[in-house]
Amino acid sequence: MIATINGKDIDFCDNQTVLDVAKANGHFIPTLCEMADLDHAPGTCRVCLVDIQRKGDSEHHIVTSCTTPMEEGMAVLTRTPKVRKMQRLQVELLLADHNQDCASCVRHGNCELQDVAQFVGLQQTRYTYPEFYQRRSRDDSSPAIFRDMSKCIRCFRCVKVCRDIQGIDALVITEKGLETEISVRDNLPLNQSGCVSCGQCILVCPVGALAGKNNTEEALDMLYDPGLVTVVQFAPAVRTAIGEEFNMAKGENVEGKVITALKQLGADVVLDTNFAADLVIMEEGAELLDRIQKKGTLPMFTSCCPGWVTFVEKNYPGMIPHLSTTRSPQQCLGSMAKTYLAEKMDLNPDKIRVISIMPCTAKKEEAKRPEFENQGRRDVDVVLSTRGFARIMKREGIDLAGLDDSTFDNPWMADYSGAAVIFGNTGGVMEAAVRTVHKVVTGNELETVAYTDLRGEAFRREATVDLGPDIGPVKLAVVHTLKEARRLMEEIKAGESPYGFVEVMACPGGCAGGGGQPRSKHSYQGTSRERKQGMYTIDQNRSVRQSHNNPMIAKIYGDFLGKPLGEKSHHLLHTTYRDRKQTVSHTMDEIWREIEDRS
Amino acid sequence: MAKVIFGSWDGKVIDNRNRQIFEIEERPEFSDFDEFNAGNPIKAFFGGHGFFIFEKNVNLLDALLQYMERIVKESCGKCTPCRVGTQIIKRKLRALVDRKGGPEDLDEIEAIAEHVKDTSLCGLGQTATVALLEMLGSFREALVAELATPAPLGQHCETYVSAPCIEACPSKVDVPKYIDYIKDGKFTHSLGVILQKYPMAATCGRVCVRFCEMACRRTQVDEAVGIKVLKRFVADHEQGVINEWFSAYKPAEPKDKNLKIAVVGTGPAGIAAAYHLLLKGYNVDIFESKPVPGGMAATGIPEYRLPKAVLGKEIAIIETLGGRILYNQKLGRDLTLNNLVERGYNAVFLGIGAHKGKMMRVAEENPEIEGYDFGVDFLLRINHDYIDRGMPMELGEKMVVVGGGNVAMDCARSALRMNVKEVHLVYRRSQKEMPADHEEIEAAMEEGVIFHFLTNPTRILVADGKVRGVELNKMALGEPDQGGRCSVTPIADSEFVLGADHVIPAIGQQVELGFVNPEEGVELESWGTIKVNVSSLMTTRNGVFAGGDCVTGPATLVQAMAQGEKAAQSIDDYLTLGRVRFQPRERMSQLVADVQPMISTGISIPVKHEYRVKIKELDPMIRKKLFEEVEKPISVDEAYAEAQRCMRCYRVYSVITEQ
Repeated sequence: MIATINGKDIDFCDNQTVLDVAKANGHFIPTLCEMADLDHAPGTCRVCLVDIQRKGDSEHHIVTSCTTPMEEGMAVLTRTPKVRKMQRLQVELLLADHNQDCASCVRHGNCELQDVAQFVGLQQTRYTYPEFYQRRSRDDSSPAIFRDMSKCIRCFRCVKVCRDIQGIDALVITEKGLETEISVRDNLPLNQSGCVSCGQCILVCPVGALAGKNNTEEALDMLYDPGLVTVVQFAPAVRTAIGEEFNMAKGENVEGKVITALKQLGADVVLDTNFAADLVIMEEGAELLDRIQKKGTLPMFTSCCPGWVTFVEKNYPGMIPHLSTTRSPQQCLGSMAKTYLAEKMDLNPDKIRVISIMPCTAKKEEAKRPEFENQGRRDVDVVLSTRGFARIMKREGIDLAGLDDSTFDNPWMADYSGAAVIFGNTGGVMEAAVRTVHKVVTGNELETVAYTDLRGEAFRREATVDLGPDIGPVKLAVVHTLKEARRLMEEIKAGESPYGFVEVMACPGGCAGGGGQPRSKHSYQGTSRERKQGMYTIDQNRSVRQSHNNPMIAKIYGDFLGKPLGEKSHHLLHTTYRDRKQTVSHTMDEIWREIEDRS
Repeated sequence: MAKVIFGSWDGKVIDNRNRQIFEIEERPEFSDFDEFNAGNPIKAFFGGHGFFIFEKNVNLLDALLQYMERIVKESCGKCTPCRVGTQIIKRKLRALVDRKGGPEDLDEIEAIAEHVKDTSLCGLGQTATVALLEMLGSFREALVAELATPAPLGQHCETYVSAPCIEACPSKVDVPKYIDYIKDGKFTHSLGVILQKYPMAATCGRVCVRFCEMACRRTQVDEAVGIKVLKRFVADHEQGVINEWFSAYKPAEPKDKNLKIAVVGTGPAGIAAAYHLLLKGYNVDIFESKPVPGGMAATGIPEYRLPKAVLGKEIAIIETLGGRILYNQKLGRDLTLNNLVERGYNAVFLGIGAHKGKMMRVAEENPEIEGYDFGVDFLLRINHDYIDRGMPMELGEKMVVVGGGNVAMDCARSALRMNVKEVHLVYRRSQKEMPADHEEIEAAMEEGVIFHFLTNPTRILVADGKVRGVELNKMALGEPDQGGRCSVTPIADSEFVLGADHVIPAIGQQVELGFVNPEEGVELESWGTIKVNVSSLMTTRNGVFAGGDCVTGPATLVQAMAQGEKAAQSIDDYLTLGRVRFQPRERMSQLVADVQPMISTGISIPVKHEYRVKIKELDPMIRKKLFEEVEKPISVDEAYAEAQRCMRCYRVYSVITEQ
């Protein structure tokens, strides 16, 4: 089919919008609420205005290009004076009820509303009505996510992600008119709601309405306190993503530069969460075999992902026995730093502060779980997201791209296997576990190390591993996104699941696509593939690729822990879970009152 | 008759300002615009397509401001121009009304108003500033002149917001609002909107005839929004908790404890009336002639369309609210109106339905012959004797159902489920004229009902007191009459015979009149329904009200529920004020209907096609053997997607009146 944009003939297909066609043909139209990666065009911001003239119609119409289908013979104009003027007025109206405290905004410099204001050539904000946004809610109840609705521009991308990708549906829309805002289901504070803190909503928020909890100040306090020994760990997925914040190549491994930056910032000990990932494999692998041999609860679920663990606790508490009791790598590292490392380095554990850098917002909440305290000491003291750590570097004047590489120098808890680094990818924990469990059971390493059956993009992938004559074949499943996890849980509940071991990561792509990772404008998970490939490349280049072959792992068991699932492991590396399901009941009076209040 | 001094509607300007009022010609469109209520003239009317001024002393800026204030209140707040633009316009109009601005402000108002009209997402925003723009465009000097006069005192303004789907619904359910709540993720509140009107949401969500969907403007784009299925979705979603919501219900203001009301009939009309009376805080006893509640909804709708359990749960709300249902109490048999009054009921609502089948008036027809059943009686027997009590029924091998409405479809489809091998449906007009829902007709065809259109019975063949067949005549369609309905005439010598063991006339029902006793004062219309005052639904006997099929003749569930609600309002007025109050919203609704023919503009810009959710159904070959519900529920994702299809065709209307 043929139409014209700005006088040029263009070819298009049925069901394409004017915006789709314009984009495909290099005609730029400013957009704000739309997000093609999410198939999201709610048509609420009304910025992407164009002039159209339908075939056989003498009249011109101004329409939003994101919601208008392209038609045969339609003439589209994207840059007429009228279009530009109306786009500008639209942005003026958007700014009239937007809290323009830009200098202090978390999205400063990375704000899609600022971009749009620049595009339409706004030179001043004509309409400022603080009363339009002052009454809107700010919710800092969650240890992971901060919501400031005075900045919300109602693109509904967060709602879309929470519903369609994660299936959590924790967000609702409340009120009408100027009071309209994205709210939490049943008016609960975020920390008491169904939210699992995955932070995917932050990745899509075009403005500063949603942000990870800012813990940079606490981290700096610790780093600058000479009386404290700061132990910093960073997760596998951080090293192939944080370069994006410094305009480096997508997926580039900047592990060495991160170590240098941390040393410059005054970190006393720099450790790798990867070491703890290897430890987790030893424990979790042993636990799986134990469950299989003793006919314990199967399938066993991985427990590394705190968003997933919270999901189970809040939605399927009856299935808690399926969760591996092994703590996540972050928590294992924290726990070992304040016991094993303190012993080795002769440090007073009370003076140690463990700071984590995680691709994740849920890790902030995980670190605060009551389970993770040992003799009054938190295992992990403060958690920074990848974005938060980038912000600290920028605050401290560090340009990561310009730094030299360093290597880990801690002789006890820094070495890692290739298996550990792929923990940051969906399927990675499972693949790492298979490498080790296969060896433990059969005595032989897998013929090909990379167990690629478990790799890929599909929300659920399956494989079967043969664990020898005694155990036989075990069916494995890898799941990412909580929407798919819910589907799986329903199957298990219905007795329709054939699996023995299941890995679940809440975020699409795993930690590579974590809610604490750098965000990109107008793109959802746009660099996830490169980040994941970055981790697979690191694995491929490691000389040691199985957790059980990491020499520091052998040492920690030899010197301190004894054996997997042993007494010490039980206290320091395993945990328990809680039923956190809640049902909110309503009354007719209350529902009607709210309906009346809104009308 | 009201005369338009000036105005503009869809760009058509009327300007009679230079003429004497008596010179202005009368226009029939405005025949209803003289008074809002008795003694209260309408001075101006505003709507989403323009405005009309009927008297000279209207404060125009104030009228525009009051209209805009309602818009601002109704804006859903999702799209930018409507959320923010209308607020800015409102503030600027306010300043002008307070005389804190000059004519130059009108230019800025106009610029924003144009922007709101051209760029808003939904119908509300797109029409929010039309009246304002029409006035600025053609009568700006009147506004400028007004600015030179002192600030006005207030004037009385009644505003009303509605949409075509709401206006089409007998119960005036706020459809876009309950769909908005689905979009918003608040299914509880969505159901709450429906429950403001009637308790039978899941029932209505299954069997409603959907006047709303017929009026849906989305049909101008692709297909009507699945309003009914969304209603069912929210009702089903909350079905486990809905009864609990009512358990702690407290009426806003308590009523005199001694007042009690009798409702006769637990059908949709009676249940809706009882529900609203209970919500208002009255003691209500409901009398049901049968051993089961639900009236025609229970006995006349087959299980595969409306499972008894669904209906039962919704009727249970009445008991949760403290209503008492007394079974096997038939008016005229077990109780009389006088008797109810003697028992201390201060008001009575009659919702007794129309349960008596109509005869076909053909040769040899006699309800006593074996194998002859009226449609409603046949459905009742299946529902009551066969499904509820498991009693076997002998129906023979071949059946002829006569009629073209939903009852006929229900009978034919039920007969298949009762293992009747051959089911024929006979209808005297063509398929196009069939009053049944087209979905029902299609479902019956898929299941294998054999249709005979343009065919009419002339004789029942009887042997040994049993039905043996039906003699039929082919019919020809004539020219359409004034109402658009074609006459039918028999074709000579076209008789043929269908052998049958059973014949089911399903051509309509009438009110059972056994209860009527001239001494009790309830009079009937000549066609056999109960006579009522249309605005109050009071019968010819003081304190006795009636509604539903017994007043309207056989109609629909939602019409009956609407009458039940209306009667409850009248009963409340009657018991607390002694008279039935004027309802401004009903009057606004009338005025809105009056202006509809003047609307000439439709949807002129392309809208992306998003087709309606496909409802999964049991396979026809399987379902025709079962009474299991045919239509399957939709998923949460499907509900969200379907809700997004609503274009929110809200319009705000206002009148400026004397008082």
